[in-house]
Amino acid sequence: MTAGILRFELTTARSGRTVLLFAGGFAVASLIVALVGLSAGGILAVQGFARTSVSLLQLVVWVVPLVALLSGAAAGAECREVEFVFALPLKRTDVLLSRWAAHVVVLGAAMLLGLGAAGIVIGAFAGAADGLRYVALTGISCLLLAACLAIGLMIGIMAPTRTRALTFAIGTWFVLGIGIDLLAIAALAILPPGAASWELVTLLAVNPVAAARVLGLGLFGADVLAGPTGAALRAVLSGWGAWVLVATLLAWTGLPLFAAARALRKRDL
Amino acid sequence: MITVRQLTKRFGERIALAPVDLDVRAGETVALVGPNGAGKSTLLRLLAGIITPSGGSAQIDGRDIVTAGPEARRRLGYLPQRLGVPGSTVLADLARLVAAVRGLHASVAFEALDRAGFGLRLGSPLVELSGGQRQRAMLELAGLGDVGVVLLDEPSISLDADGAEDVRQAIRAARARGAAVLFASHHLHDVALLADRIVLLVEGRAVMTGTIGELATAAGVAWHPDDTDPPIERIYRVLVGRSRDGDAKSLRLVRSDAA
Repeated sequence: MTAGILRFELTTARSGRTVLLFAGGFAVASLIVALVGLSAGGILAVQGFARTSVSLLQLVVWVVPLVALLSGAAAGAECREVEFVFALPLKRTDVLLSRWAAHVVVLGAAMLLGLGAAGIVIGAFAGAADGLRYVALTGISCLLLAACLAIGLMIGIMAPTRTRALTFAIGTWFVLGIGIDLLAIAALAILPPGAASWELVTLLAVNPVAAARVLGLGLFGADVLAGPTGAALRAVLSGWGAWVLVATLLAWTGLPLFAAARALRKRDL
Repeated sequence: MITVRQLTKRFGERIALAPVDLDVRAGETVALVGPNGAGKSTLLRLLAGIITPSGGSAQIDGRDIVTAGPEARRRLGYLPQRLGVPGSTVLADLARLVAAVRGLHASVAFEALDRAGFGLRLGSPLVELSGGQRQRAMLELAGLGDVGVVLLDEPSISLDADGAEDVRQAIRAARARGAAVLFASHHLHDVALLADRIVLLVEGRAVMTGTIGELATAAGVAWHPDDTDPPIERIYRVLVGRSRDGDAKSLRLVRSDAA
C-alpha cells in the first residue's frame, strides 16, 4: 500500500457527509444513553458504570454495523467511478486496502468521539473503577467496525450497481442484527436440550455482530444478557470463548477483504 | 510505445473489439475514429487496465498490460471520457495523489495546475468546476511527470474553442517530448490536424489504418498533401459507409509500419 493512495483515500473518506452525520449523531446518542443509563434504577443484571456501558454496547451493535455496512458498500460501489485512479501505476488491491483502512480510521475516530464523550460522563458520575473495561469495549467496537466495513466493501464491489449494493448492505445488517438470533431461537426450539450448544456457538462464529455483543457483555460480567448463543459459548468453550470471538471478528475482516480484492482484480470497471 | 496484437474484448456474447493489431511509436500520434460503439473507448480502456482483454495481448513500453499492469502503467497518462473520479474529489488531493505515484513532489503538480489557470481552484471539488475546466485539469494531471504514453478518450468533448486549442497544444507537446499518443475523437478536424496515422474502427473492427493521404486514396477522395484543410469528413463518411455495406475487406489498407 503506498502512502500516496492511503492519504488520498483518507481525505476522500473524511470529506463525506456520512462521517459528519455519524460523528454528530453517535456522540449525541452515546451521551443520551450514558445519561439515561446513569439516572435509571438498577433493575438489570449490572449496575453503575457497567450497566451504562452495557447500554452503550447495545447502541454500538445496532448503529455501527449499519453505518459501516452502508459506508463500505458505497465505497466499494464507487470503485467503478475511479477509472482515472485505477489507470495510475497502482495495484487494485492497494487501492482497496487503502480505502478500507481510511474508512476504519475516519469512522473509527467519529465513533471514538462519541464513546469518549460518553465515557467521560460515565466516569464523572459513576467513578472510573471499570475504566479499563470501557477501553476494551471501545476496542471491540473498533473490531466490529473494521469487520462490517470489510463486509460492506465486499458487497459494494460484487454488487452490479450502487443501489443494489446499498440494498444488500441493509439486508445483511438485518440478518446479522436479528436474523441469526431468530435462527438461534429456532434451533433451541427444535434441537434436544444440551445438543444445541455447538450449533449455537457456530451461529456466533458466523455473525460478527453477535460475536461483538457477547464479547462486550462478557467484559462487564453481563453474560446472562447474551442470550442462548452466549450461554452456549460459556458451556462449550468456557475461558477460550472470548478469544474465539476475537478471532471471529478478525476473520470477518480478513476474509471479506480477501474476497473483495480477488473480485476487484478480475473485474471490468 | 504501444504494441497491440490481436487484442479482443467481449462483453458476454457481444464483441466490443474484434482482434486488433496496432503499434504506436514514441513521438507518434495516432487517432482512433469511428461511429459511437465502434470500440474506440474499449481499446483505450483495455490499454489503461480498466477492463481486461478477452484475448490477444498488449504492451506498453514493453510491459504486458495484464501480467505487469502497474509497471506497464508507470509512464502512462490516461484521460477517460467520463470524469474518472467522484465529483466530490478536491483538485489538490487528486494532484497530490498523481504526484505521489509518479514520484514527484506535490508542488510540481500544483505548479502545473497553476500554469493551466487553476491556481485559485486547487481547493475546489471537481464538481464545482465547469465541464471544460474539469477536462483541462484532468488533462494536466494525466500528462504530469515523465509520461511516455498518453491515452486520451474524447479529450475535446465539452470544451470551448480555447479549451479545444489547449488540448491540441497538449497533444503536440506530448509528441514533441517523445511520447506515444493515442487518442479517440469525433472531432475530425482535430484528427486531421494532429494525427500521424488514423485507425478507423467500425462496429468493433479496425477496418482501416493509414495516413490521411492513404485514407483519402482508399476512399477515392481527391486530396493533396499541401491541402491545409483535408476533406476528412468526406473521407470518413465514404469509408464508414462502405465498411457498413460489408465492403470492409476491400478497405483494409496494409502498411508495413501500420496495423
